[in-house]
Amino acid sequence: MPLEYFKTSTPLTLGVELELQLVSLSDFDLTAASPDMLHLLKRASFPGNVTPEVTESMIEINTDIHANHAELLEQLQRIRDTLLRAGDTLNIGVCGGGTHPFQHWSERKIFSKPRFKEVSAIYGYLAKQFTVFGQHIHVGCTSGDDALFLLHSLNRYVPHFIALSASSPFFQGSDTLFNSARLNSVFAFPLSGRAPFLLRWTDFVSEYFAKMEATGIVKSMKDFYWDIRPKPEYGTIELRVCDTPLTVERAAALAGYLQVLCRYLLDRTEPAPVEDDYLVYNYNRFQACRFGLDGSLVHPKTHETLSLREDVLTTLRKLESYAEMMVGMPALEHLYRTAHEGSDASYLRQQYAERGSTESMVDAAILRFRDGCP
Amino acid sequence: MPDLLLIISDLAWPFALALAWVAGEFGHRWTGLPRISIYGLVGFILANTQAGLLPHPAGIPIMLLANIAFSLILFELGYHINLRWLRNNPWLGVTSLIEASGTFAAVYLAAQWLGMQLIPSLLLSSLAMATSPAAVLRVVNEQHSSGQVTERILHLSAFNCVLAVFTFKIVVGLWVFQSTGNILHALWNSVIILLVSAALGGLFGLAVPGLLKRLGNAGCDATVAFAMAVFILVALTHTLKFSPVPAALAFGLMARHRRIVLSQTQQNFGTLGNLLTVLLFVFMAATLEWRMVMAGAGLAMALLAVRFAVKTLCVAAFAHVSGITWRKGLLTGMALTPLSAFVILLLEQTRHLGIGLMDELAALAAITLLLEVIGPVVTQWALVLAKEVPDTKDT
Repeated sequence: MPLEYFKTSTPLTLGVELELQLVSLSDFDLTAASPDMLHLLKRASFPGNVTPEVTESMIEINTDIHANHAELLEQLQRIRDTLLRAGDTLNIGVCGGGTHPFQHWSERKIFSKPRFKEVSAIYGYLAKQFTVFGQHIHVGCTSGDDALFLLHSLNRYVPHFIALSASSPFFQGSDTLFNSARLNSVFAFPLSGRAPFLLRWTDFVSEYFAKMEATGIVKSMKDFYWDIRPKPEYGTIELRVCDTPLTVERAAALAGYLQVLCRYLLDRTEPAPVEDDYLVYNYNRFQACRFGLDGSLVHPKTHETLSLREDVLTTLRKLESYAEMMVGMPALEHLYRTAHEGSDASYLRQQYAERGSTESMVDAAILRFRDGCP
Repeated sequence: MPDLLLIISDLAWPFALALAWVAGEFGHRWTGLPRISIYGLVGFILANTQAGLLPHPAGIPIMLLANIAFSLILFELGYHINLRWLRNNPWLGVTSLIEASGTFAAVYLAAQWLGMQLIPSLLLSSLAMATSPAAVLRVVNEQHSSGQVTERILHLSAFNCVLAVFTFKIVVGLWVFQSTGNILHALWNSVIILLVSAALGGLFGLAVPGLLKRLGNAGCDATVAFAMAVFILVALTHTLKFSPVPAALAFGLMARHRRIVLSQTQQNFGTLGNLLTVLLFVFMAATLEWRMVMAGAGLAMALLAVRFAVKTLCVAAFAHVSGITWRKGLLTGMALTPLSAFVILLLEQTRHLGIGLMDELAALAAITLLLEVIGPVVTQWALVLAKEVPDTKDT
C-alpha cells in the first residue's frame, strides 16, 4: 500500500504518548496487570486514551491534541490521577522510568492481540527485552515538507531530549552506567536509527518509502523505529527518543520544550540541515545515553566540543522569547531546574545509594509518579 | 544385628519424600496436575493405615518440620499482603468478611441439619472458613500466575485464615469453659493465645529487618535470616503452646510493612522451601485413615458442596464493586477451595487440650483428603481460566 498523503494539521500542536510500568506491590517486579487495569478503566470515561502494549505489564496512555504546555500538563495530571485510582483499587503500582531495574524478560507475558503475537514471533527475545518504556511526542506540521525539515533540523537537539528525559540507569538487576539504557534495547531493532536524509515529502514517498516497500521489509510507517519519524496520517512528526520520565510534569515539560524549539526552527534562522550533520549524530546520541547531562557533544556544523548541560542551558535561554509567545515558559523553567539538579536517572541512582536495593528504587519511582515534581 | 523393622521405619520418611518428589515431577509433566496434589496422594497411599510403610507421624520430629514448612509459607504469604489495599479498596475487606462468615454460617447450618453435634459443628465450620495458604501459594508460584485472581486469593486466604483461627480458638475456649467451667482457662486458650502469638510474630518482624540493616547486607539475600527466624518462631510457639499461624503471618506482614530497606527473599524460600513442601504435603495426607475417609465421605461431600457454593457466590457478589469482572470474581471464589494443610496443623496443635476432632469426625478426614488432592487442582483451573497463567507456547 503506497504511503498516504501527509495530512495537514494545526502547526505546533502537541500530543504525548507515555508507556508506563505496572508493578506488583508485593515484590516490586513488573506484573501482568494490564487486562485488569484496562477493564476497570473502561468503566468510566478516561481523560485521553489508554491502550494495551506488547507485554501485559505495560500500559500506554495518550493525550488529546493540545495547543500549549499548560493544557497538556493539566490533562496528563488528570490521566495520572485516574490511573492511580485504578491502581489503588487493584493493588497495582504505576510508575514511569525507561526500564524496570530488575525485571527478567523471560518472565514477561505477551498481550494477546494478533499484532503483538506476530511481533513476538518475528523478534523472539527482542520483543520481550523490549519491555522498555518511552515517551513519544507528536508535533503538528502544516505539510510533509515542513515535517521533514523539522525532523532533520532537530538532529542536533536529539541528545538534549535523551539526556533530559533519561530515567533508565538500571537494567536486568544491575547498574548499566548508562543514563538511558532503554535506547540500547531500541537500537537492537534492524529498522531503528535515523530517517534517510530527504527534505521533500514527494521524494520521501517515491524515492524511499516505495522502494523499501518493494523490498517487502516494511508495510507501513509503523515498521520504522526511527528516533524521529513522520506520521502522515496524523500530520505530525513523532520524537521517540525520550525515556518515560518519573513524573508527568517532566513529560509535559519535554513536550513544551520541543514545541518551542520547533517554533524557533521554523523561523529558519539556523543554517539548514545537511546530510553531513549526521556524521556526529550517533556519537552525540551515545554521549547523551551514556553520560546524560554530563556528556559532551560535537557541534554538527562547527565540530566544536560542547558540554551537553551547557548546550541545553544555552538553548533554553535562546528560546525564552519564543516560549513567552507560546505560553511555554513554565516548561523551560522546569527543564532549567532539571539541568541543574540532575535527571531522573541521577534521582534513581541516588535512591539506590540511600536505600540499598533495586526494589526500593522501584518503590521510590512509584511514590515520585504519585507525588509529581513541580 | 539391628532390628530390620527398626531400620525400615527409620528409612521410611526419607524414601517416602523422595518417592513423592519423583512422582510429583513426572505426574506434573504427564497430567498437568499440581505437584502438591500428587505429594498428598503418595503420602496417603504410603501411610501407616494404608500401605503401612510410614510410621504414624504424630508426636515425632516430622510434625515439627511440617509446622516449620507451613510457617515458612505463612511468612511468605504475610510478606505478600498489602494492608493498605484494604483501605484503598474497602470492598475487598467486605468480601473477605462476608465470604468467611457466610461459610461459617452455611457449614454450621448444614452440619446441624445433617445431625452433627453442637461443638463439632462449630469447630468444623470455623475450620471451613479458611483457605489453605500452603496450597494457594504453591499453585500460584508453580504456575507463575499474576493478575487480580492471583492477588485476591492470596489476600483473601491470609484474611480468612486469621478469621478462622480466631473463630476456632473462640469455639475451643467455649468448649473448655463448658467442660471445665474455668473462664480464665477458656480465655487463655482463645483470645489471649492469639494476641500473644501475633505480638510475638510482630516483634520478630521488627527485629529481623533491624538486624539485617545493622549487618548492612540487606540488599543481598535476606532469605537465610528470615528462614532462621521462622525456625525460632515455630520452636517458641511450639514450646509455649502458642499458635504459629498468627505468629508467622504477623511476622511476614510486619517485616513487609516495616522494612526500610526492601530486599528480595527467594520465592518459596528456594530449595529449602521446596524440600519442606514435599514433606508438608506427604505428612498431612499420611495422618489420614482410609477407614475414616470412607465412613465420612457422604457427609464430607455435602459440606464441601455448601462451602464451595458459598465461597464462590460471596466473592462473585462483590466482584463488580471491588473493581473486577464477574467472571474473575467467580474464579476467585472457586480458587479459594483448598483447605487441608491448615486443618491438620491447627488440629494437631489442639491435641494437648484433648480435642481429637480428627479421630471423632470421619467427615473431616474425608474433607481433608478430598481437598488435599482436589483443592489445588481447582485453584489451578481457576487461574488458567482467568488467563493469569503465562501461555507456555510463548516462552
